[in-house]
Amino acid sequence: MTSNLDTTRASNGDRTRAKRFMTDFLPAMAAYVVILVVVVLFGGLDGNSPARFVWAVLPIIPLAWVIWAMARHLRRIDELQSRQTYQGLSIGFGAAMLAAVTAGFLGIAGLDMRLGGWVIFVVGMLGWAVGQAVLAGRNG
Amino acid sequence: MRNHLRALRVARGWTQAVLADELDVSRQTINALETGRYDPSLPLAFALSRLFEQPIESIFDPEPARPNVPQGR
Repeated sequence: MTSNLDTTRASNGDRTRAKRFMTDFLPAMAAYVVILVVVVLFGGLDGNSPARFVWAVLPIIPLAWVIWAMARHLRRIDELQSRQTYQGLSIGFGAAMLAAVTAGFLGIAGLDMRLGGWVIFVVGMLGWAVGQAVLAGRNG
Repeated sequence: MRNHLRALRVARGWTQAVLADELDVSRQTINALETGRYDPSLPLAFALSRLFEQPIESIFDPEPARPNVPQGR
């Protein structure tokens, strides 16, 4: 039996937590995109200047901000959501480790693995996102 | 763990979102509790007990988990 009391609309607390996360997360991502564009345009990454290495790691600064936003979000969410997040992160970590070992073996076999770091990153993030989405979907 | 959470909530005329705000948890957590997919922590179980003014053992039934998803959803 269902009734209008069984609506699945988000609670005020859910909306507040989501809004706070976006307030932390969106400026960090915007800063990342801006710095990435600046680095690509002016960093001279394909040149010979030693400064290109400094330019190359500049996007790490806003990424640290993104991690800080995630950490704050983890402190705000409730016990079930934390558990889902940690389980999702575990799945992502496992996927990233599998990708790293695969890339390692392919490198040993002679495959050019210059983009291996990016492959590991993407596989890990996808593993986290898909894993957490499945877990969250299960709990409605 | 089976529980009578949905009946208690409906008896008060609350939506899952209202109960979630009362307990400062997500609506998703309330849904997972009601459907037997998630067992609460001890602090959350005590919070529910205080809110509904009933002992924990009258809200939760320590039977093996059997999802009690309401019909027609």
